[in-house]
Amino acid sequence: MANTSAKSTEQLSSLKSNSGSLGARIKRYANFYVMFIPVLIVLFLFYYLPMYGIKYAFTEFTPFGPATWIGFGNFTKLFESARFWDAFSNTLYLSIINLILSMVFSVGIALLMNEIAHLTLKKVVQTVIYLPHFLSWVVVAGIFTIILSQESGIVNIVLEKMGFERINFLTNESWWRPIFFFINRWKETGWGTIIFIAALSGISPDLYEAAEIDGAGRLKQTWYITIPSLMNTILVVFILNLAKIMNIFESVFVLYNETVYSVSDVIQTYTYRVGMQGTFNYGYSTAVGLFKSFVALILVGFSNWMSAKINGKGIV
Amino acid sequence: MPVGNTYYPNYANYGALFDMTEAWEESDLKNGKLKDVNGNTVVMEEKYVDALKITRDVNGDGEVTPEEENRLYGFPMTRGNGTVTYVRGDWLKQLGEEGKLGYKHDISDFKYKGNTVITEEDMEEDFSDSSNKTNTTEKKYGDYVQYMPNNYDEFLTMLRAFKGIKDGVSPISAAGLINTEAPYDMYLREFYQDARPDFYIPEGSDKYVDGMSEPQMIDALKRMKAAYDEGLMDREVITNKTSTARNKFYESKIGVFNYWSGMWCKNLNQDLQKQDPDGVAVPMPPLVETEYIERPPTALAVTTAAENPWGVFKWICEFSHDGAEGQMLFSRGVEGELGEGHYKWVDKAANKAEALTPPASPDSQDLVQKAWFSPELSINNFPDPIEIDNKITFSLDLFAKTSRVNPVPKMTLNIADAMTEISTIRAEVIAKTIQGDMTPEEAVKEYQERAKNEIEVMMIELNGSEE
Repeated sequence: MANTSAKSTEQLSSLKSNSGSLGARIKRYANFYVMFIPVLIVLFLFYYLPMYGIKYAFTEFTPFGPATWIGFGNFTKLFESARFWDAFSNTLYLSIINLILSMVFSVGIALLMNEIAHLTLKKVVQTVIYLPHFLSWVVVAGIFTIILSQESGIVNIVLEKMGFERINFLTNESWWRPIFFFINRWKETGWGTIIFIAALSGISPDLYEAAEIDGAGRLKQTWYITIPSLMNTILVVFILNLAKIMNIFESVFVLYNETVYSVSDVIQTYTYRVGMQGTFNYGYSTAVGLFKSFVALILVGFSNWMSAKINGKGIV
Repeated sequence: MPVGNTYYPNYANYGALFDMTEAWEESDLKNGKLKDVNGNTVVMEEKYVDALKITRDVNGDGEVTPEEENRLYGFPMTRGNGTVTYVRGDWLKQLGEEGKLGYKHDISDFKYKGNTVITEEDMEEDFSDSSNKTNTTEKKYGDYVQYMPNNYDEFLTMLRAFKGIKDGVSPISAAGLINTEAPYDMYLREFYQDARPDFYIPEGSDKYVDGMSEPQMIDALKRMKAAYDEGLMDREVITNKTSTARNKFYESKIGVFNYWSGMWCKNLNQDLQKQDPDGVAVPMPPLVETEYIERPPTALAVTTAAENPWGVFKWICEFSHDGAEGQMLFSRGVEGELGEGHYKWVDKAANKAEALTPPASPDSQDLVQKAWFSPELSINNFPDPIEIDNKITFSLDLFAKTSRVNPVPKMTLNIADAMTEISTIRAEVIAKTIQGDMTPEEAVKEYQERAKNEIEVMMIELNGSEE
């Protein structure tokens, strides 16, 4: 028995070891490399191979003929377009505010849920707030169009009964963004709490017991134990979401209309109109997409740098 | 492959489509050599073929030679069809009989280009939904037509009367203030009238003009805004989807709705009468100030990569319009028994057949309406052996008598680029005008300023100069 245990320990330490020549190490970890092959193939096919298409950003390209090399022509055109810069600033504004609200609400709701002692009630609440995440954006837009309808929506009926004027929320530049943020939170807050609830369950109860003995109340415990314990998770979720902020499309596309373009048009909806609605200007669309990815890369790098500053190490 | 009219000129312009001009000119169909099942010569309505002709600089040398003008790169599948204005006939009748409309018409009052558009026989057309067994009351067109408005003032009178018919009614609605593709002014015809928010060649001219910058457009915006402000137009017209506007019509929340003629005339009545057995949707002739617009037909195109494009033209384009077995196959489907085919002959000698339920779901309540091409939209004298609902044929006839065919838009890469921005700005300023964020004059001025560069590009591409 002791012999077997010693052998296992030896094997484990041998696996952990990075010593030996490259060939020896490849041989040692051969099984892992074999298991990684499918991942590598998928990664190559769907992430690296499509990067070949980046070249079209530097061409005038339609599906019906050879691409003509125009250097940075598409980028020059892009940077000269006022519509593009509007879309760019809207993308950043809508995404960053949405991200901040997402963090605040998800962490807040997770903390509140953590306080629910009744298990069945907790599960019911969790199920109810997760559900909207599974509705498609088209359905969500339909629901809120009905609720916010100026003619027959419940919100406007209540407003009118209270003596206010009816508001066409989705065609009003002042109202569109708040409504957009509200709908996003309604749909995604519940789903966003999952990771934080999991992280909360990992905090040692000993810390709370010790704090309680020291006379800390609920708020102090939350402030000095729960939130610091969650900080790493919050940071990881923030960075992961920050990388995706340039990808905002569906939620805007189903809710925006021509009266609110100035506050709602984002890079993806702009690209869609340029590339898909009859122009076939794929070179230009690719340039827009490439620029968007470049900005996303900068944002990820920035977040990672921030993480390193705060935690002493980055996550990427 | 079928190509819609937004893409057709683009594909053609990129040189992706076979030039079938000669194939058409030399075809048996064009030259009257095809006979239908009754032995009659198949005659095409050539205006639909002409609607797809395109002039393009094939060689790319900057000059268009006579040989490059009016070339055919696609063959029309069916008529392009368009929208007519449907009104709630039962509301009209009620208000008319109560004397609340203040006008009454004889059918001879309804004319288009000097021709009467409604006949005595039309008065007998029944708009009741035949599939609704509990609804046996006849709904004759003649009961409603006398109360239909014939000019814009009467139209407003009707909308005001509709507003008072019950609480919560927004008399007229549409799926947006401007269509997302040409013809852009297909909806809300009563408000656009002679305004055309597009680049077009006016009658008697050979140069394109920018319709958005013409004085007629300011008048159209004023009409829309006034109706919106007065509560005659649905407050949600900007955000409406077609399904939203349709549902409002079925739920009697609106009384006037501009929508497709043909099959939709039947569908609208069917769904309306399910919810309100007394309800009836009747197509209205256009007001004297306006006309209906037919979009260019969807094209059947052959790619330049095809090995035998003449063969494809012969056995797809021509065969599907042969007035006989080919057209029957493309429009009605496969002959057979229930569960096997789409239709069966009742009396082949008398050219009578009946539609069956779909082979995949023989127990369905719905019969096969079409295989691919809508038979009711055929562009020749096809003797369809299956009877078509009278509401479909009536609305199509009225539309055909009162509409013009919109030409295929001219297209180049520069035009496509410019049109993206122009469409965005145009939709934005129109919507903002109606909402009261700017006056019609300010809207046109803002459009001209913000789209200045794109308008210049359009004029150069369309006319060869900035005129």
